[in-house]
Amino acid sequence: MKNLFGKSCLKTRLHLTPAYWGKLRAGLLPAVFALVLLGLLAGCASGPGLPAPVEEREEVETRVRTPASQDSAGVQVFPLQNPAVRELLTGASTAESQGDLGQAAVLLERAMRIQPRDPEILQSMAEVQLQMKDYEQALNFAVRSYDSGPRVGEICSRNWRTIGVARDNLGDRSGSLEAQERARACMNTKPAGF
Amino acid sequence: MSKSKKRTSGRRAKAPRPAGRGWFGRVWRLALLLAGVALGLMLPWVLYLNHQVTTEFEGRKWDLPSRVYARALELYPGAAVSPGDLETELEISGYRKVDRVALPGQYRVAGGRFEIYRRAFVFPDGGQDAKHFSVALAGGKVSGLREVEGGAEISLARLDPAEIASIYPLAKEDRTLVRIQDAPPLLITGLQAVEDRNFKHHPGLDLRGIARAALVNLKAGRAVQGGSTLTQQLVKNFFLSHERTLWRKLNEAVMALLLEAHYDKAEILEAYLNEVFLGQQGAYAVHGFGRASQFYFDQPLERLQTPQVALLIGLVRGASYYNPRRHPERAKRRRNEVLAALEETGLLSAAQARSASAAPLGVTARPRARGSRYHAFVQLVRGQLSQVYREEDLKTEGLRIFTTLSPVDQEKAQAAVSAGLDDLAQRGLSPSLQGALVLADSSTGEILALVGDRYPNRAGFNRALHARRQVGSIIKPLVYLLALEHTTDYNLLTRIDDSPVSLRLPNGSDWTPANYDLKDHGEVSLLEALVHSYNQATVRLGLQLGANNLVNKLVQLGVTTDVAALPSVFLGAVELTPLEVTQIYQSLAAGGFSVPLRSVTAVQTTQGDELLRYPMRMLPQARREAISVLTYALTRVVTEGTARALPALLGETGPIAGKTGTTNDRRDSWFVGYTANRVAVTWVGEDDNRPAGVTGANAAMQLWAGLFRKLSIEPVDLRMPDGAFWLWVDAHSGKLTGEHCEAAVQMPFIDGSEPTEMTACLAENQDQNEKSFWKKLFEN
Repeated sequence: MKNLFGKSCLKTRLHLTPAYWGKLRAGLLPAVFALVLLGLLAGCASGPGLPAPVEEREEVETRVRTPASQDSAGVQVFPLQNPAVRELLTGASTAESQGDLGQAAVLLERAMRIQPRDPEILQSMAEVQLQMKDYEQALNFAVRSYDSGPRVGEICSRNWRTIGVARDNLGDRSGSLEAQERARACMNTKPAGF
Repeated sequence: MSKSKKRTSGRRAKAPRPAGRGWFGRVWRLALLLAGVALGLMLPWVLYLNHQVTTEFEGRKWDLPSRVYARALELYPGAAVSPGDLETELEISGYRKVDRVALPGQYRVAGGRFEIYRRAFVFPDGGQDAKHFSVALAGGKVSGLREVEGGAEISLARLDPAEIASIYPLAKEDRTLVRIQDAPPLLITGLQAVEDRNFKHHPGLDLRGIARAALVNLKAGRAVQGGSTLTQQLVKNFFLSHERTLWRKLNEAVMALLLEAHYDKAEILEAYLNEVFLGQQGAYAVHGFGRASQFYFDQPLERLQTPQVALLIGLVRGASYYNPRRHPERAKRRRNEVLAALEETGLLSAAQARSASAAPLGVTARPRARGSRYHAFVQLVRGQLSQVYREEDLKTEGLRIFTTLSPVDQEKAQAAVSAGLDDLAQRGLSPSLQGALVLADSSTGEILALVGDRYPNRAGFNRALHARRQVGSIIKPLVYLLALEHTTDYNLLTRIDDSPVSLRLPNGSDWTPANYDLKDHGEVSLLEALVHSYNQATVRLGLQLGANNLVNKLVQLGVTTDVAALPSVFLGAVELTPLEVTQIYQSLAAGGFSVPLRSVTAVQTTQGDELLRYPMRMLPQARREAISVLTYALTRVVTEGTARALPALLGETGPIAGKTGTTNDRRDSWFVGYTANRVAVTWVGEDDNRPAGVTGANAAMQLWAGLFRKLSIEPVDLRMPDGAFWLWVDAHSGKLTGEHCEAAVQMPFIDGSEPTEMTACLAENQDQNEKSFWKKLFEN
């Protein structure tokens, strides 16, 4: 009769019961998927970043950074940068090169909280968005970077090249061509509006 | 249970053993027989209890409140942080001020320098280790950061965020879940030694224990010892009932047996650790050792020392009777009884027990305020998350929610609203006036503070989110923005008629809006009309532009409420919430780069895995140059217009853009103002919408100033973006003029809207300028 309440005869049932924490985790998984899906549908949230396909990174290098740096021979603007921002930008750039675009974006947002109108941070965010294929946001961040930036030199060229690639991908062919013109003009126009 | 090496035997060394085995054996057999008969006869009843207890056991595992975190404070050289701010932040984050910093979670202030031992924390962008560093502050800014050991400079140190709230299950409980392997070994073994020495071996009931207790109680003549096993106690906690009937006891006993049949000892003990009632905080029961450790010692359980562990074990017997805050002597006696039991069972050496018995209780004077103090903001967080989560999930999934709230700013905002309204009452306004405030970062759209009641700790109607009130004149800037976008027709100096205007409304009635001062101002410039908030001129301008266009503009700026396109819209006959108004003005404050306001940035699981991220999204407005020109006009509202009392309230700040709003019969008072880094909206009025004697400047602006006085402000940036520029113009004629000409003023113009005619003075100068240009060229 002892067995009626003892453990031995009911051991088999115990095996069916996963550990306390395991269950918690397992139960959350479907919820995770459902929520991430919902978030994506709502268009306001994104899931953990997947490594960017190589071609997106190449596009940023070949169509934005390399030509901008070639253009800029002679015209360079080096804004003084807060060391905290520099640390975050370095972290973002490392994350980006490892393909962890989500992480890069989070670090850039942190940098933006410190210096919200820093053209370098905004442009880096634009380039990350370009790799995430969020062309609209890439365009918007690049525009803001240009608006608050020096409007000359390498960063200006990166701004307009990003805008060009983004417009291209958004199907705005003539806008893209115009942006390429503006990128070239970054090297020989004086800043306006000051 | 693997960690608990020492195991107490089921036998007591000292407890009297009054009867021989035969006696025990009889009782044992009889009890089992009875239980067997009961089970056989009353299978349905047992099945019912089985269902109840397993549902409860499984269900409880899920009842984890979501934790809501404030934004983490980033410390770096140059960060605007005053010593007061930093201390507030540390205090709200649960850091303890000590004389010697030795452990994470402690800090010390000495000579303008903070020494902080930051706690480890898992952020959405990864884990962060504990760090011991010092912060030097000077002039309201961080002047340096160094590691304490080695003295290396640090460029960026992020504090772990304050936990501002927990979103609770419906029951009024709070817990911090503890895993059995994280609990101090002494707690695991000690609990068994004190409460249930036979835990490892009994099937849920310990008949010997019951008998022993009965005997001890009989001898003492009162209930000194309980015979309940930990399993029984767990069941009792599940169905917290103070009923002490035999029926209840029988139910509990059966459920204890059933629990043991379903789950292993480790699972039961872990559930017990998280379930047992250990105190009461206001309306909230403190369940589990993890939460109790925070509640009594403000420390995580794994960091507790022997005397503290012993006290918690002692509280199991009666958390209110032995309440160490209310009955410290009683609690100490109980703790020392526990220590003696631990020594007796060999869990502590005599020396350890002696020194632990001599230690003070170590309980904090007051428990840290429960996380509900910022519930106005938390309501906003729930709102944002409810688009993705069910309320039920928020309350039970144990999510980690990362928000944008700045505790320091929130404290300042609450004080500004409460003190501001008290002050207005002293100056003769009604003491029943209510207020609301929303503070956001201009560029990122992150909500830093939100107040929905003059008594911010009162949970109730949240005016910042839910009070729909007429906005009055704070809508006017949008009328002028529309005008400025028409560069061929308007600039800030365009003349407009401020004579009385009468309109026939669709319902057949006439509408004749008058100016606030009941005067007509004749022909005025757009700038003057906005700066002084003239109604007649604004309606005339609006009619030229069309109410439809104004409604469209509201939509473009993020207003989702339906607004009827009637002429009364020009004067703000639109009902919006303070939060919606903040959204509109965020776009203006950010120079036309709209960002949907955010209160949540990321959501993680209990384990720290990312579930959701709310990235910052930017939507540039068209014609941003018009917004920059408008911002300039709004700085003139502050220097010489309806908000001209503001500079005296703030002191030296540099340009600030602002607009007052007052509605009919002085029912609502609004103020909205922004700088380069902050945008805030304040509202004051009566809940029942009766005339309140308030104006934008006499009420809401006072609250706004009360907050901004305490903030670190970056003045409005008046540099013009592409497509707009500054020109010298003649203040009277509006013609282009030279910097040194008489009545010359600088004014921003959008490309294409600038005046073309020149003053005689400029024409003369230009000849000379050209000459000097050539002269300079040749001289070089």
